[in-house]
Amino acid sequence: MVSQSELIKEARENGMDLLPLDKDTYELFFGPQHMATENFSIILKMDGHRVVKAIANPGFLHRGFEKLAELRPWYTNIALLLRICVPEPDVPEMIYSMAVEEIMGWEVPERAQWIRTVVLEMARVSAYLFWTMGMAFKLGVYTAGQWAAAYRERFMALFEELTGARVYHIYTIPGGVRRDIPGDKWLRQLKDTVEYVKSKLPDFDHLIFENYITFRRMEGIGVMDKKFALEEGVTGPNLRATGVPYDVRRADPYLLYPELDFEVPVLKEGDALSRALIRRYELEQDLYILEQLLEMGPPSGPYKIQDPRLKNLPRFKVPAGDAFAHVESTKGDFGAYVVSDGGNKPYRVQIRGPSIAHGIRVLEQLLVGARIADVPVILVSLDNCPPDIDR
Amino acid sequence: MEEIDFKVAPESKIKKKPSYIKPWLGLKYLFKKPVTIKIPYEKTQIAEKYRGFHSLDWKKCIGCNFCGQICPARAIEMTWIEVNGKAEKRPHPKIDYGRCTFCQFCVDVCPTGALGFVSNYMLTTEWREEELLLYDWVPIHPDKIKEINEKYPDYRFPVSKIEFNKETKEVTYYLRDGEVFKFRILGYGVRPPAAAKPKPAAPKTGEAKKEQG
Ligand code: SF4
Ligand code: SF4
Repeated sequence: MVSQSELIKEARENGMDLLPLDKDTYELFFGPQHMATENFSIILKMDGHRVVKAIANPGFLHRGFEKLAELRPWYTNIALLLRICVPEPDVPEMIYSMAVEEIMGWEVPERAQWIRTVVLEMARVSAYLFWTMGMAFKLGVYTAGQWAAAYRERFMALFEELTGARVYHIYTIPGGVRRDIPGDKWLRQLKDTVEYVKSKLPDFDHLIFENYITFRRMEGIGVMDKKFALEEGVTGPNLRATGVPYDVRRADPYLLYPELDFEVPVLKEGDALSRALIRRYELEQDLYILEQLLEMGPPSGPYKIQDPRLKNLPRFKVPAGDAFAHVESTKGDFGAYVVSDGGNKPYRVQIRGPSIAHGIRVLEQLLVGARIADVPVILVSLDNCPPDIDR
Repeated sequence: MEEIDFKVAPESKIKKKPSYIKPWLGLKYLFKKPVTIKIPYEKTQIAEKYRGFHSLDWKKCIGCNFCGQICPARAIEMTWIEVNGKAEKRPHPKIDYGRCTFCQFCVDVCPTGALGFVSNYMLTTEWREEELLLYDWVPIHPDKIKEINEKYPDYRFPVSKIEFNKETKEVTYYLRDGEVFKFRILGYGVRPPAAAKPKPAAPKTGEAKKEQG
């Protein structure tokens, strides 16, 4: 136990006073119950309506995945680890599976690769729609938020048909996927949905991305420069908004991405608006990728690997070794480091969520000098995802 | 970063122009039909293979505990059961829906195909102890669940009430179609309980489960 005096001392070292000694500034607590922070909290030291100092205070969602994953058999961990990323739960499944496959030396069948690419892109589209919803709600444009939620629902229905669950579809496993595509009907439905959502994108543009008020609220706030972003390890759309053309799908290709044609959006400003616009453009590109994939069509073959070792799943052993795998999620570069000691349980699984970079230190520095009304806007423009900070 | 060998979108495509007038175009949905589903009056169509509650064919289950070993939430506990005075030779899994994540790994791993799943997913109770017993059950036969689903197609849990007598260890399932199904729990775990070791020459307990459908 830490004594109270120690706590006070520690708080003071961080520039915070528990006793109202500081008469010039006041402290605000953006807690987990606040609509804008989502299970995350920031302590703000305010001078008038400007932030003087911000201290991110994560950890409300710390569930100890690293320890829990050590205690479960290899396959079972999928059902656990996907809970690290709530908006797109396929990404942790995928990286864990990719890392295990690398240790095993497995080559995933072509059909499984196609399905996985489709699932990842569907997850990206639904995560961007989810983010649009969050942004619209925080900007106060509730209409656009409700539209985004309604269109995301269509993708959820497709996921339900494919995997059997709406959000946590425990679907990708080391060596393939768990179920085959339900048939041509599903492919047709997906095609219709993609077309439908694509036809609705101009609506979002009209309401938020081309709205004068959005521009005034987001332009020039939370500006990040290239050097700072690279130093802090920011990835994904937040990095691309500072003018760095880096995308894991291109820099370190996986699955079918080398065969697909898509553009990577890059802007130079590095402010909240450019981050939002980049996400908007990626949503369009992801729909375009899905169209291409559907045109390709699923190759025939098995949807998971055939290996005699898979007969006894609880005792399934992975040879000793380690592997790192990463994919591009909507928040950035999502990586998993898996170590095996040859047993039937992983020795260690470390998941590196992208928000850990932009959710704590970057956020703290971007918030300095911001007005209080900009705080939620900066938060949502970074697409902060608390579960992958806390894990 | 120095050499870019992939397509970078031109800035002009990404950037947008602010407008005062365009947001008003959002009003065009004012007179369209809303996409809402009025839940108590309209039904949603859920996927055919939606991962819901479990079903268990008691005759097929060999008590191998594979499902218990694979379960990520450790929701499965092997249970020794006595139906109509006859002890089952093998333990059966008891599933605790307080912990279950509905991953259905247990279904995939079951070597005999005894454990299955149905698309029922609704189970709500209040806070009372006796109601919470509903969350902890040995799944019943899939045909029985199908029968109940035909009568009540609302994706609810097929059992409406579970009673557990602490002294006699007797469990009573009140199925939704009015049937009552009773059995006794002799013990838990992979090892057979001392009181009811299955005798090697015990007769087949198949007919004991006629009641269950
Ligand atoms: S349900 Fe299947 S896996 Fe579980 S004990 Fe019975 S036979 Fe084994
Ligand atoms: S569905 Fe998953 S969590 Fe539930 S009992 Fe089966 S293995 Fe355990």
